[in-house]
Amino acid sequence: MTGALFAQSLVLGILLGGLYALLAAGLTLYFGVMRVVMIAHSAFLILAAYLAWYFHERSGLDPLLSLVITVPLFFVVGYGMQRFLVSRLRPISLTTMSVLLTFAVALTIEGLLGFVWTGTQRRVQLEYSGASIEVAGVSIAVVKLIAFALAAVSLGALYLILRKTSFGRALRATTQHPEAARLIGIDTDRVAGLGFGLGLATAAVGGTALALDYTIYPSLHWHWIGPLMAIIVVGGLGSIPGAAMAAMLLGVAASLLQVPLGTTWAQTVFYLALFLTLMIRPQGFFGGRLAQRF
Amino acid sequence: MASEPASAQASDPAAVEPLLRLTDVQAGYGRAALVLRGLSVTVAPSSVVCLVGPNGAGKSTVLKVASGLLTPRAGQVVVDGVDVTGRTPQQLLAAGLSHVPQGHSVFPEMTVAENVLLGAYTVHDRSVIAERADFVTGLFPLVGERWSALAGALSGGQQKQVEFARSLMVRPKVVLLDEPSMGLDPKATGKVFEQVQRMRDAGTAVLLVEQNARRALEAADVGCVLDLGKVHITGPAPTLLADPRLAQLYLGGRPKEVP
Repeated sequence: MTGALFAQSLVLGILLGGLYALLAAGLTLYFGVMRVVMIAHSAFLILAAYLAWYFHERSGLDPLLSLVITVPLFFVVGYGMQRFLVSRLRPISLTTMSVLLTFAVALTIEGLLGFVWTGTQRRVQLEYSGASIEVAGVSIAVVKLIAFALAAVSLGALYLILRKTSFGRALRATTQHPEAARLIGIDTDRVAGLGFGLGLATAAVGGTALALDYTIYPSLHWHWIGPLMAIIVVGGLGSIPGAAMAAMLLGVAASLLQVPLGTTWAQTVFYLALFLTLMIRPQGFFGGRLAQRF
Repeated sequence: MASEPASAQASDPAAVEPLLRLTDVQAGYGRAALVLRGLSVTVAPSSVVCLVGPNGAGKSTVLKVASGLLTPRAGQVVVDGVDVTGRTPQQLLAAGLSHVPQGHSVFPEMTVAENVLLGAYTVHDRSVIAERADFVTGLFPLVGERWSALAGALSGGQQKQVEFARSLMVRPKVVLLDEPSMGLDPKATGKVFEQVQRMRDAGTAVLLVEQNARRALEAADVGCVLDLGKVHITGPAPTLLADPRLAQLYLGGRPKEVP
């Protein structure tokens, strides 16, 4: 691999890693707060991408503007999904049953996407779709840069919400000791609902970023959920910084391996990392003793 | 033990209106048989009341009913003259009951400061929160010393102090302590009971549940012996400790099962 190719792959990996980090943050949030395995996370991601594409098709406006609608919409849908579906599961079997429940939700979304917009592949066409900027011999597509910036800003916002707001402290407390949280007066059911909404809002942002740069089709979400699940296990379930770091590392690794191995085999790095983590350090590499560090 | 006046008040309900009164409480989990079968207990102001009894007697269940984690099927919970039966933990917190659960209950990945200040989650006046933080760090100096440390990094005994400090941030009338000495070595246990008395001296009544009966009664003003979901004997703690039958029945043998 030449130096220029290496640099190019590295930059692409970092840009992709940013998007993975945002999506994995949402996924690990559901697990941390509610012990929910949210298989439908990436289906919502693709739904948001479709909404961005449709918004652009219909209005001719920049698909980024669809965020104004999809982020609040997904937040509300997430809150409702937690309060009316997930919270109905019995606490004792919540984690396993949530796999089935959200699997069904994912299939439903995929089916609806195919029903409404057919299985045809879709792609957003913009004036800046082909544009790129060149820095030190590395060419960076503008859309990838925008996607990365979106992810970085959202992750930063998520961090600030969790760290600096009263709701964030309540959410972290609920993650770390639900009973004690209830006993100091935190309405943990409401916090769980809002946490779920927050997680789904990250899917809305991620989906919009995805729509800028990817060809989308209804079953695309299956390509995303595997790597994302692997990332949150490697990072330590429930740990947002862990998820972000694992996403960045594995995103870069996958991007670098694409050159010698090709796209398909490069994806296996996620599963390899998953197997290694489960063998060596099942609590994850960045998760701390309880995998609840923020 | 210089606790005679308090225990005299507590054993005579007519003398002082109790801060907390549970009357004929029946409670249980799901469809299983009742755990509490007509239990009554009172906590007078500025007293430490200790519930002792064998495993399965329903000690922790009493606290869960009092703090609203479990709704009783019958009976009454009265806090400072107000009937609060069936209210949520949040409402009971507002009514003046603070519950420190069994085992470790700090938020381990948060700092001591965050833990203590979260105790005032339901309080919104910043100056009140600051004032109470001063009060609890005065009562538990260690909490102030380790203010910026991660709570999970403290020893078990130190974590208990953080939990106590957190529970006092709402300035409760009564603190409910579920087995505060569980898992602690004898030295840390001694400290925990010292702090229980310190809370009482600072004006907070304490309802305490303990496996470590002898040690707990030494720190308490009033003792209640619980068996099969009822209080069988109530009396000044020193009297209970001196009673040879009780010593043989409840204070001597080591319990076999672990809750």
